[in-house]
Amino acid sequence: MKQETIITFDNVHYTYPEETAETLCGITMQVKKGSFVAVLGINGSGKSSLAKHMNAILTPSEGKVTVYGMDTADEELTLEIRRNVGMVFQNPDNQIVANVVEDDVAFAPENLGVPTEEIRRRVNDALAQVGMEEFQKHAPHLLSGGQKQRVAIAGVLAMQPDIIVLDEPTAMLDPQGRRDVLATVKRLCREKGMTVILITHHMEECVEADSLIILDAGRIVETGSPKEVFSQVERMKMLGLSSPEPTCLLHELNDEGFSFPTDVLDAETCAELIAKELNHG
Amino acid sequence: MLKDITLGQYFPGDTVVHRLDPRTKLLLVVIYIVALFAASSWITYALVLLAVLCCMALGHISPGNMFKGLKPMLFIIILTAALNVFYTQGTPILPGWKITWEGIDRAAKMVLRIMLLITGTFLLTYTTSPIALTDGLEKLLSPLKKWKVPVHEMTMMMSMALRFIPTLIEETDKIMSAQKARGADFETGSLIQRAKALIPILVPLFVSAFQRADDLAVAMECRCYHGGEGRTRMKVLTFARRDYIALTLGVVFLIAVILMRKCGI
Amino acid sequence: MAELQVMALSHIYSKGTPFEQTALRNVTLTIPQGQLVGIAGKTGSGKSSLIQHLNALLQPSSGTVLLDGKDIYADKKARREARFRVGLVFQYPEYQLFEETVYKDIAFGPGNMGLSQEEIDERVREAAGFAGVEEALFEKSPLELSGGQKRRIAIAGVIAMRPEVLILDEPTAGLDPGACSRVLRNISRYRRETGSTVVIVSHSMDDLAAVADRLLILSDGTVVMDGTPAEIFSDPERLEGLGLEVPKATEIAMALRRRGIHLEGAVFTHAQLKAAILKAKEDAKC
Repeated sequence: MKQETIITFDNVHYTYPEETAETLCGITMQVKKGSFVAVLGINGSGKSSLAKHMNAILTPSEGKVTVYGMDTADEELTLEIRRNVGMVFQNPDNQIVANVVEDDVAFAPENLGVPTEEIRRRVNDALAQVGMEEFQKHAPHLLSGGQKQRVAIAGVLAMQPDIIVLDEPTAMLDPQGRRDVLATVKRLCREKGMTVILITHHMEECVEADSLIILDAGRIVETGSPKEVFSQVERMKMLGLSSPEPTCLLHELNDEGFSFPTDVLDAETCAELIAKELNHG
Repeated sequence: MLKDITLGQYFPGDTVVHRLDPRTKLLLVVIYIVALFAASSWITYALVLLAVLCCMALGHISPGNMFKGLKPMLFIIILTAALNVFYTQGTPILPGWKITWEGIDRAAKMVLRIMLLITGTFLLTYTTSPIALTDGLEKLLSPLKKWKVPVHEMTMMMSMALRFIPTLIEETDKIMSAQKARGADFETGSLIQRAKALIPILVPLFVSAFQRADDLAVAMECRCYHGGEGRTRMKVLTFARRDYIALTLGVVFLIAVILMRKCGI
Repeated sequence: MAELQVMALSHIYSKGTPFEQTALRNVTLTIPQGQLVGIAGKTGSGKSSLIQHLNALLQPSSGTVLLDGKDIYADKKARREARFRVGLVFQYPEYQLFEETVYKDIAFGPGNMGLSQEEIDERVREAAGFAGVEEALFEKSPLELSGGQKRRIAIAGVIAMRPEVLILDEPTAGLDPGACSRVLRNISRYRRETGSTVVIVSHSMDDLAAVADRLLILSDGTVVMDGTPAEIFSDPERLEGLGLEVPKATEIAMALRRRGIHLEGAVFTHAQLKAAILKAKEDAKC
């Protein structure tokens, strides 16, 4: 199946005002419709700046970003681009605008001038998609981090975007919250066909992505499927990142004379391979 | 603990008081405040008190929660009482004493008035979500838009401020604990020393508040916020029968209080 | 000596209001001098409340904490002393930085202890060394630095008080892998070189497995598991039942054991797993 390209970056450079060093230095990439793309990099590698270019919060100092062919630098198109590209940030407290969950989710459709009955329908629908319908009337500051973050996702879904960009959405969450948010994100991609761009520094979160982009000092240094990228265990270490535990383990066992495949990312497959080897070896 | 401050907090619920249109409640609070200042005798005070208690009961607000809201104001209340007790001329309660019967009467009324004033406004914030409140305010003030008053911007700022009160209170608590753990002492020393001791709290609080404001502005833009123009609302304010009834009762109540004052009751 | 004894400690938040919440129920435990204790548990299990009692920040609803046999809640002086002897680094401590320079911020704690200038200076330099803060940063504003640097400065600010017990709440939260292992290495070195007691609260079982001598698992305000990592991780099903993760090495070991592979001993670190597999291979050959 040939997929439509939905976001393109064409040699994008970006320098923050009042700074001299470039934050993004020549990013060129495409995102296919309906795909799950993970962007991985250490703090300060330019991940967030990259994300903010996708919905015209930042516009390139040089080069061009387009969403559905719309140039993000064109101010006339800003609203249309933002409606298509929903964005969720790291700190849930700083993106929830209302004191009641449903009012917060309604914020974006209200801004877009959606008719009243339609807003109500969208709010209920968005809350159901993230599994927060029973918290409709709750005060957000009394929810757990993971719940707040799911409310934030619902707030974006109410715009009915095709693309959702999540900028380290799990960095401040506990393991339970992290699992819930990731499961929600994956479901949106796999079941609703949404395009998901997940910015993170947790490798485990990237394992199920369709493609993985590694960013370092404002440049794309690796792209490919998670298997392709993570199998380069030494390279990942050099970039201040790491590969998933099973990949690292098999890599090191190979140094001890085994010959396992290098692109295994999950514990079960890893155990299966080792068990086979030990039982027949 | 700061966390216990309930100022400006909303207790979600589904009572008659919660369901009233925020404009009705805002107008009722105005009526209530006028009535409170018109009240002069103990009987009228009792009437006002009764009205507040009825509303509290209807809105399922427990006296405990109300009292907790009053706690931060305790200092002001006591100060007013003390000033009135000591500085009112009249018949001393004991010969040679500065305290007069008139002073006690005035102090008691003053305390009651302040407490009723706070209670009444709290009743509004406890039972009205900040969004509804600011929506109501925006609607009530919308005639001012004709004179280029930025009503939408003002009410939006107000609702953001209300939204962030609990977050900032929590944050203050955290920073205070962290500095206490580094041996900061907020409880002893002279006034100047104590004021200085606040720097380790205020600086991080401001830094983080600015950061939050920044993040929030970006998050709002991401959700297509572009001012009040062309905005629609999920909850459209409509006057129901209960609103007309409540307003009528409010007006009757105000007239009653004013008449009682005129007749010297 | 600095031995912490938690005696029948209970804590109830907002007692007598609709928001009443029991955070700790009758917790009793002893932390001897020099131990590195890891505390884990789901959010709301009482971890944060527990550690805020160890330096008298929170007032217990009942029970108390003894430091070398003395009640830290005895009076104001005892509470203040406990603050200095038991150093507590909060979650996201970078938000507590407030001074104009890194040096001044690290000096805030020792300054509050009423020490001489020379003594303060010595401690600031020593703490910076332990926490991995380069002296070149001393005159910079903490606000200009990166997240990882700020975290280390905040940790140095507590170490500068030379606490006999150092407690850290989620010291690696939000850091990338490199910064993460750097912070853990620094903490281990601090313990090794000073003989201090260290308590680390973390969601990351991998972090705890790598550094702790002893693990406390909290659930619903009580300590439900208490033992060495080997003991705790020998029952991974129970941990998962408590809503916790197991270290990734343990996860793979469990998957291997389910496939009939015999691995010796408890496996909770990468090195152990590798060694156990190599050992199993040797055994298979024989």
